Amino acid sequence: MTNKDSFTEYHPIINFMFFIGAIVCGMFYIHPYFVGVSVFCAAAYLITVRGTKAFSILAGMCGVFIVISIINPIFNTNGEHVLCQLFGRPYTLEALLYGMTLAGMMVSILLWFVSYQTVMTSDKFLYLFGGLSPAFSLVLTMILRLVPNYQKKIMQISEIRKSIGKSAGDGTLRQKTEHGITVLSVTTTWALEGGIVMADSMQSRGYGCGKRSRFSIYRMGNGDKLLLILMTLLLTITLVCGAKGMASITFAPTIQMHGSTMVRIGGLIVYMLFLMLPTMINIKENVTWHILRSKI
Amino acid sequence: MAHFEIKDLTFSYPAAGEKKALDQVNITIEHGQYVTVCGQSGSGKTTLLKQLKSVLAPHGKKSGEILFEGTRLEEVNLRTQSSKIGYVMQNPDSQIVTDKVWHELAFGLESLGMDQKTMRLRVAEMASYFGIQDWFHRNVTELSGGQKQLLNLASIMAMQPSVLILDEPTSQLDPIAAADFLNTIRKINRELRTTIIITEHRLEDIFYASDKVIVMEEGRVIADEEPGKIGAFLKKENRRMFAAMPSPVQIFYGVNGTGNCPLTVREGGAWLSRYFAGKTPEYTTVEDKITIDPDDVQKPAVLMKEVWFRYEKNGKDVLKGTTIQVPENTLFAIVGGNGTGKSTSLKIICNICKPYRGHVYIHGQRVDKIKGDRLFKQNVALLPQDPLSLFVKKTVREDLEEMCDRNLSEEKVREIAKLCEIEEILEQHPYDLSGGEQQRAALAKILLTEPKILLLDEPTKGLDNFFKIQFGKIMKRLKQQGATIIMVSHDVEFCAKYADLVSMFFDGGIITTNTANRFFAQNSFYTTAANRMSRHVFENAVTNEDVIQLCQKNQ
Repeated sequence: MTNKDSFTEYHPIINFMFFIGAIVCGMFYIHPYFVGVSVFCAAAYLITVRGTKAFSILAGMCGVFIVISIINPIFNTNGEHVLCQLFGRPYTLEALLYGMTLAGMMVSILLWFVSYQTVMTSDKFLYLFGGLSPAFSLVLTMILRLVPNYQKKIMQISEIRKSIGKSAGDGTLRQKTEHGITVLSVTTTWALEGGIVMADSMQSRGYGCGKRSRFSIYRMGNGDKLLLILMTLLLTITLVCGAKGMASITFAPTIQMHGSTMVRIGGLIVYMLFLMLPTMINIKENVTWHILRSKI
Repeated sequence: MAHFEIKDLTFSYPAAGEKKALDQVNITIEHGQYVTVCGQSGSGKTTLLKQLKSVLAPHGKKSGEILFEGTRLEEVNLRTQSSKIGYVMQNPDSQIVTDKVWHELAFGLESLGMDQKTMRLRVAEMASYFGIQDWFHRNVTELSGGQKQLLNLASIMAMQPSVLILDEPTSQLDPIAAADFLNTIRKINRELRTTIIITEHRLEDIFYASDKVIVMEEGRVIADEEPGKIGAFLKKENRRMFAAMPSPVQIFYGVNGTGNCPLTVREGGAWLSRYFAGKTPEYTTVEDKITIDPDDVQKPAVLMKEVWFRYEKNGKDVLKGTTIQVPENTLFAIVGGNGTGKSTSLKIICNICKPYRGHVYIHGQRVDKIKGDRLFKQNVALLPQDPLSLFVKKTVREDLEEMCDRNLSEEKVREIAKLCEIEEILEQHPYDLSGGEQQRAALAKILLTEPKILLLDEPTKGLDNFFKIQFGKIMKRLKQQGATIIMVSHDVEFCAKYADLVSMFFDGGIITTNTANRFFAQNSFYTTAANRMSRHVFENAVTNEDVIQLCQKNQ
């Protein structure tokens, strides 16, 4: 399966809004149904984004899920249905279910964050928040540029120090520390030197000769607008249902759901539609592409 | 109206006292001209170029004036100067400000406060003109040196300058990337009529295309002529800059040729044919400098046997069963394209990288069996590609002293400093030295480990011809003292002149090894300019000296 992510190509504001919505809702709706939906959608999207690589992440998440679920009842003994006695304390069904819900919540948030990292690249983030302060956003881009540079330089210098028998791994502890400090201090010198050239390069390209404008490669097309409206609608309905208590539940002493069933089921469907949006977009584009290609 | 007019410009740095960095410089540059500024390192080329843009002009005492399109440069405002005068610097890496290619292209336009629509068009134009579309969305860290420098150029061209100033733009690039870059510059000059002012070590690629060449010496302009006349002038006055001229020029005046001076290999070849018109030359071969059979080495100083290496577990193999035999007491050069694994081989020889199959032997001893620092003391030393990374102290002397025992240091440092000709710069900060000086100081530092085997990674990168000659001499001296030198290089001319054996590296292995003369004589692309222009007359002349010698013999 190709893992071309079409959702990424949409306007950054859409990407950002979706992830904020998914993550915030995921944190507040701690209810087995809603957590289940969130985990399912997050996993589905991750698979469309990362392809087969997603499976190793998901396997790891299963581990996290199981550990947290099993551990919770050991500390939390609330609940009526006792499954067994462990360390002389009751191990209850309700606590186990609560643990599973919490674990699912954590897993879903983690999964959303993994996708967030691939989709919301630094330039998108800067595009969204750079407008607040051009100077600050420039500093941020420069940091993003310089950090990998420093890492590379430190590696290079350490390697060279090694080749003259003065690596941080040689000699006594005192010598090791000295060698390590030397590498850091020379990297600083190098950075300052590079900074002078960079300042020259900035000035020579007109930095500081007036108000800066901001270039971006994103534009809001009709597709983006449509998706934005749809997304806002779904998210609003979810939030309204949430306010009406669609996800309200108590685990102890017995599991009880509150509020109207209609609101819960309606909210659940809308919530799922919202969370499935990016996955559906990816699948749709993939299918369209295959159909188009088979016509050629 | 001239584009730039420099009148009686004199300049001295604050700390330099009476010494003038620029002395009575008078130059007129017309619109659309291609001007090459050449001169030895430290002759004032960079100082001159920096004066042409106010924000870059260094502090110091200045007299005389510079007119830009008829207006005094100080009176041209920052905005106009920023967009009209483009300046490309030497180091491709430090000039880049932002983290994305597309953002870098727009940086200058953003500074000028342009609106989104204009910026989009300009950026699109530039990306298309320079062929950047394919890597438009990349991070700048992923680019090669050549791509980075092209990006610097494109981001300046986006501001539509009328003059482009380039200060040794290709000194950090490999020859192929450098030639590409210089071709692009010529294209800009030809198609957009942008005035070009460029300084370069590699005169071969730009000399013939220039409208005029300005030669500088100790802050003064000693010649300001069209390229055809420069050689004659330098030869007549016996200036040192003559050694930096392209091969055809040096050979032409080396044998006191008559007629128009050839500037390119093509013209040089035609001239040589005329030189021997009507007679067949009696001598067509030069003797090999050295007689070694590269396939039958008795006691190799370094033996690399069927070595396989890759950087990442699932990456592709960089070395694929490479075998190298380096005879004792020779200068062994490895040439070949970028990314073929040449530098990696050096790292494997000194055990920084460890092969997953095969072994390396130094004087018969397996490298990975040599314990601790014994490998790097009186045994093997590596001169890295970027010599600056070797320095960690405030002065060159301190850096050298770091390498030896406290009580012996002074004596030893003096000795090495003399060998490497760096006695005068011992008290300076390593970062203040010129490229050639840095290279020699770095060499001095690693020589203090008293290596028997010296590994050099691109030692002539960014050096001008004088430094190369000086460096070559040091190599010879080291060889006399019994050292074995392995050098990885792109510099065909340097290898032809100083190497004993030359190997071609390709696709993770050595393709062929031969003596320098035989190696270059059998190649038709990967060989020196002297060989390319003389191959239809002589059999194995590879250096300028070879060609001159054969011409004189046949007189």
